[in-house]
This record gives sequence, C-alpha cells and structure tokens, in this order.
Amino acid sequence: MEGITTSDAQARVATDSAALEMRAVSKRYGSNVVLDEVTMQVFPGETVAVIGENGAGKSTLAKLMAGVIRPDGGEIRFRGVPVSFNSPRDALQAGIGFIPQELAYFPHLSVAENILVGVWPSRVGVVSHRELKNQAADAAEKFGIQVDMRRTMGALKVGELQLVEILKALCREASVLILDEPTAALTDAESRNLFRVLGGLAERGHGVLYISHRMDEVFRFSDRVDVLRNGRLVASASTREATPGYLIEQMLGQAAQELTVVESAATTETEPALAIRDWRKSGEPGLKGVSLEVAQGEVVGLFGLRGSGAELVAEGVGGLHRDIEGEIRIRGRSPSRSLTSPGAARRAAVGYIPAERKREGLVLSLPVQANLGLLVLSSLSRVGILRSRIERDSARLWTKRFNIRIRSLGQLTAELSGGNQQKVMVASRLAARPVVFALQEPTRGVDVGARVELHRFIRDVAAKGVGLLVVTTDVEEAVMLTDRLLVMRDGAIVAELVGESKTQGRALAFAAGEAA
Amino acid sequence: MSASGRESTIDVKDASFRGVPLRRRTLREVGIQAFGVGVFYVLVLIFFSIEAPHFLQYSNFALILADVAVIGIVSIGQAIAIISGGFDLSVSGTLPLGSVAYADLVNHGVNYPLAVFIVILIGAGVGVVNGFIVARLGINPLITTLGTLSIAGGLAYTITNGVTIPFTYPSAGVWGNPAFERVQWGVVALVVLAVAGTLVLRYTVYGRSLYAIGGNKEASRLAGMRVNLLTASVYIVSGGCAAFAGVVIASQLLAGSASVGSDSNLLSITAVILGGAALTGGVGGIPGTMLGVLLLGTIANGMALMQVQTFYQQIATGCVLLVAVGFGRLRSYLAGTG
Repeated sequence: MEGITTSDAQARVATDSAALEMRAVSKRYGSNVVLDEVTMQVFPGETVAVIGENGAGKSTLAKLMAGVIRPDGGEIRFRGVPVSFNSPRDALQAGIGFIPQELAYFPHLSVAENILVGVWPSRVGVVSHRELKNQAADAAEKFGIQVDMRRTMGALKVGELQLVEILKALCREASVLILDEPTAALTDAESRNLFRVLGGLAERGHGVLYISHRMDEVFRFSDRVDVLRNGRLVASASTREATPGYLIEQMLGQAAQELTVVESAATTETEPALAIRDWRKSGEPGLKGVSLEVAQGEVVGLFGLRGSGAELVAEGVGGLHRDIEGEIRIRGRSPSRSLTSPGAARRAAVGYIPAERKREGLVLSLPVQANLGLLVLSSLSRVGILRSRIERDSARLWTKRFNIRIRSLGQLTAELSGGNQQKVMVASRLAARPVVFALQEPTRGVDVGARVELHRFIRDVAAKGVGLLVVTTDVEEAVMLTDRLLVMRDGAIVAELVGESKTQGRALAFAAGEAA
Repeated sequence: MSASGRESTIDVKDASFRGVPLRRRTLREVGIQAFGVGVFYVLVLIFFSIEAPHFLQYSNFALILADVAVIGIVSIGQAIAIISGGFDLSVSGTLPLGSVAYADLVNHGVNYPLAVFIVILIGAGVGVVNGFIVARLGINPLITTLGTLSIAGGLAYTITNGVTIPFTYPSAGVWGNPAFERVQWGVVALVVLAVAGTLVLRYTVYGRSLYAIGGNKEASRLAGMRVNLLTASVYIVSGGCAAFAGVVIASQLLAGSASVGSDSNLLSITAVILGGAALTGGVGGIPGTMLGVLLLGTIANGMALMQVQTFYQQIATGCVLLVAVGFGRLRSYLAGTG
C-alpha cells in the first residue's frame, strides 16, 4: 500500500547517515524469540514512532537501543560505528538517552541536582549549588523546557519528571533519545507539551524514537512509523503517506480478520449477573456514582484512560476496596457481606483477574498445577488434605481446554511465556466457577496468538451464561471483544456505545473528553 | 454445541498428556541445591571416615543424631517460617526460655507431659506476639523477631537469675534417654516432627498455602487466602518448635539454662538455606533442611574428633553455607533461570 516496505527500508541503510541503526538485531528469552532480525534506523532530526501490538517487541527494541539488554544477534551502529553497550550508562556516554516507562530518580534531591547527578559542579569536593542551578537552568532554557529547578524531584508530576529525565540526557550530550511509551501516564496537555519539546529537539538535529500505543499521536507527532509484529519489523512508512487503516492492518496481520463478528450470548430474561448501583469512592482517581449492569452471558467493556477510575470498578467487584460506597448485586442478590475482601468476592462467585499477572495474579515459584488450583484448594482436598489425583486431573483439563503449552504440570510457572501465564491465571479463576467475571487488561503483554485465543475463551465463558466485565485501556480490545462498551472519564461513565456507534474513535474521544 | 460437546469429552487420562506428579517434579526443581548438599555430605562423610578417629562407628552416629536433634527441631519451624516468606530470629530466645521453663516446672512437681505442653504453649505465645506484629502491624520480621529474641532471652535469664537450674529428679530428662540402640527419644521426636512437617507442607491445603504466600503474598491475597492468619501461624509453629527444642536440650543436660542455643537461630537458618530454600520465600522443604542439619552436625562432630578447635568449626560452617549456596546459584544460572 502507501507505506515503504521493509526491503525499501533496508535499502536506505546504504546512505549510512543514520544516527542510530539496528542491523538484523535479534533477541530471545529461552525459546521465545522476542525480536527477529530487526533492521531499522533513526536519522538525525527525525522523529520515529514505533507501534505494535502488546508483546510485539517494542519495549525490547527500546531496551536494546539503550543498552539495558544486549542483543543475541545482529549489530547496533551509532553514527555508522558498531557499538556494544553493557549498560544504559554506556549508551548515554556514547550519546543515546533512554527514558524508560518507570523513571528512576532521587526523590529527595532538587530538580537541578537530579538533572546533573554525577556531574555536579564542585570546587575541591564542595558542590556549588548556585553553579548547579545555573547550569541546569541554562540547559532548560536552551532546549525550551520549563521546570522549576529548586523543587524537590518527588513533588513533580509524571510529565515533569519525564522532562527532567530528558534534560538529564541532553546535559550529557545525548544526540538520540529513546522513549518507551512516554505518554502512557500523561494527560493530554502534558503529552502535547512533551511533543512540543521533542519536536524542538528534532529541529536541532536530535534523533528521536518513541514507542506508542496511540494512533492519534503517531499521526500528529512523527516523521516515520515503524510497525513491529511478533518481533519482526513488518512496515516502515513515512507518516505522511501512511493511513491508520494500513498501520492497523500491519500491526495485526492475520489477527485483524478474526474476532470481528461476535455473537452476543446476552440474555435479558434472567436477573443480571452483576448490577452495581451508585458506586462512590473519594480519592484520586475516585468514583462519582457509577452504575452499571452486566447481563448473564454478556461481555461489557469498561474503557477509560489512566486515572479514569475504570480499574477501581473492577477492583471493587474483586473485593479490593472496602471503602467503596454503594450497592452491588450478584444475580439479583446482595452478597451476604458486601465484597470487603478478595475472599468474600470469591465466596460470592465473583472471579477477578488483576491487571498485573506477575505481581498480583500468579505465584511464579509454584508449578503450573499448583497455580491452577490456587483458588479451589478446598474443593481439591478433603479435611485439609490435598487429593493429588483430583488436583492433577483438574489441572490437565484446564491446560487442555485453554491450550496452555507446558512441558509438564510440574513446570514452574515462572518459565512460561506471558501468554501462557495469562491463560493459567484466567483458568485458575474460572476453576472457581464464577457467575461474574471481572477482568483487568486480560491480554496485556501477551503475543498476538495468545491474545486471539484469550479473546475466544472469554467469549466461550460468556456463552455459558457468565457475565463478564472487561476493564481495559486497550481501545481495540475494548471495541472488538465486547457486546457493549461503557466509557469512563473522571470517575463517571460518560458514554455507552453499542453496535454501529461502538468504534475506537468514539471510545477514545469520549475517554479524552473531546466528544459531547 | 459441537464445541462444548468436544470439550466435555476430554480424556484426562490421555496418554499423550502425562504430567509428572507434583511432588517429584517439585523436588527436581527446588532440589538442585539440596542435591548439591547431598553430594557434599557424602564427600564429608568419606573425608572424616578416613581422617577422624572413631568417626565411622555406630556410637558416633548415634552421638551426631543426638547433637543435631535440638537444632533439627528448631529448623523444622524455621523452614516453615522461611518457606512462607518470613523468618524467625527469636528462636534463640524461645529455646532457652523453654529449657528453663521446663526445668522450673518439673522441679515444682508438674508432671512431665503437662510440663512439655505448657512449655510448647509458652513458645507458641512468643509466636503469637511475633505473628501479630509481623502480620497485623506489618513490621519487618527481621526487626520483629530481633526484638522478641531479646525479650524471650531476657525472660529466661530473669527466671533463672542467670544460673543453671538442675533437675531435682534426673528422670525428668526423658527426651535424653535412649529409645532404642542408643538413639535418644529426642531424635525420635525430631524424626516424627520432620515427617509430619514434610507431609503437612506437601499434602495439605495449609502447606500449599504457605508456599503460595511465600512465593507471592499479593497474589495469594487476591486469590482469597487469609494471608495474615497464615503468616501469623508460622511464627506460632516456629515458637512451639523452638520451645520444645529447649525441653530436649534440658533433657540432655538434665538442667535448664538461659545460655543454651544462642546460635540456634543462625544455625537453623543456615540449615534451611542449605536445604534449598530462598530467603525470599516460596521454595524449600524439610527433607533438604534435615540434610543441612545433618551436614552441619557431622562437620562439627568430625572436627571435634580431629580435635580441631571450635572456632575453626564456626569458620567451616560459614564456608559450607557460602559454598553450597554459591553452588546452587551457579547451577540455576547455568540452567538459565538465574
């Protein structure tokens, strides 16, 4: 289509003027190939956006460029010279600045001290604070970044922290900046400011590469888009020539065709599986009177940007927030004690999938079999003694039904790929036979294949009469997977999208407050 | 319809899908370090058999067992605490407290079984305090048990005024009497407790839950487990074990003393780590721990027979720990999981 294909992109290598260049770079973890011979460049004065599905290898790519991890094959060239970085520090010394998603900084030191950390101006070992502040302020002015140098780092907002981090790299003469999903945690105003700064840097000849998950910003703020799919660079297109449709097609590949037609199994003849009335919670983010219903067999999506409070609803259903006020009914009945703990939620036949499987969902040090039985130990035991045969048979059934690829049931869960771990987590919750299933980010960080499978399982579960509430920040998932989509913003539901009106564009517009 | 029909006819005994039983597999996964310790133990046995006079005699092995009974019993509780993600330094206070409490009780005419029971309750009481502070107040187990170590140890000195309390009736030292063929009742108790502990950890909901909270506390909480209660329970078990170990050592010495077992916390932690556990929790086991206990006891015994001074034994113990843990780390690194 309109874009430049990979082979064309490779031809450009010959120009050899790239600031940073990857040549057939690969990275694998165990048997899992995360990046497969990726060749790409960042030219001086160019802003490159890298997009791709969850698990396509975007973050790995950024980490390779920044020296956080080392490639297993291929070559990285910086200004035409092959380089090998052992740490981000090496990369920074060479001139590559990396802004990770999780920023590391000294919260108790001032902004100026943070910017110049490691190179504080000093005289006979005594730091000159005036000099420090002047140097930092000069740099800030030079690069058009506004931030108060005297403030304590810990008091800054995420957007400001990022700018400080960028300044920090620039003060060390970085000529290429790599940013891993910089706008994921930013407000719209902060994002615009960030891109204004990045645009200014590109004009001064810096090369900028950022990873994005938002189509709108890619089109507004980039010269070129590189698309990763399953660890391969599948397209590298000039942004002016590309269309959103083309990029989405490249991102999804085969998967784009699947799951476009979903048949709703929702039934309104029975009591709703889940009914929430006027949920309120103070705080930031909070809930300002959220009411919703999920019919038996229905998949309801709850979409919102970070800070919208959508995740609070799922957590509340999962019993994680004692302080939510309001009513909840499961199949028409109020739970005997309101859902004040995860245990209470489980007893009320509520399944809950947390957003971060490694931290909140799985015990990685236990075998797959033990994780599959984690929620149903009482039904796998008699008078407190586990019945290993029943546990094993049950685990076998789940691994087979969910197509979980393992060497044996005794394999440690830590050894599985993200997709298989996610399946284990979902299966372990389904084993408790919930009638309501609240899922947070059900396919975060899994490969495209597992994502399609998980979506199919979720539809299967709905077909059996379970009511599902899917809370996601993945707008595509929110639209494709669900029967009905609720959009949240500032702790309230601002839109209900069904049928024709349920589009990614409308969902995003409502979530960002740009639609009436 | 056809899809769900197919699902319901999955043959769970499908030969192409054979899982390895959990227990055997787990042993393989976490047992790398314990296996290394086992190999090392064999080498140590061969070395002392050649070098140490009288080492290779039945009476000497009975002696080694008697020597390790006390630390062994402490280590069972310690293993449970470490597997669940905590650990218990206070055993070095609870153990002498148990020993002097037992001596005091039997000297006041309390019958032996009741005295043992009361002593275990005292140990469990220390555990309740630990458990409450760690689980409910959320204070780090290192700091918590360091505090209760001081308190329990201090109490032991308070009861005795710093002097040893000999048994008025030597018959109170039941656990130091031979059960059969010079093997003490204390050793029998150790074996019974070790077997029971192993079975509980492997085959019960409680045991599985301990591995789960040790591996990931937050995930266990979200899975609906009563994490606080489970956390508190391990300190109660550990306290009970330590107090009972105090009874055993009093039985062996025919006296209660506030100065016994001062190194039992570090020795028991060493044994548990040698047995394949991680200080971060979630892995480990009692059979490996018992191997660690035996290894430490054998080295001490062999070096004593070779008339090596005790401070060299201390150095040897430290080296064994570092070598064994380093070996385990190396193995898991080579296996690509480090």
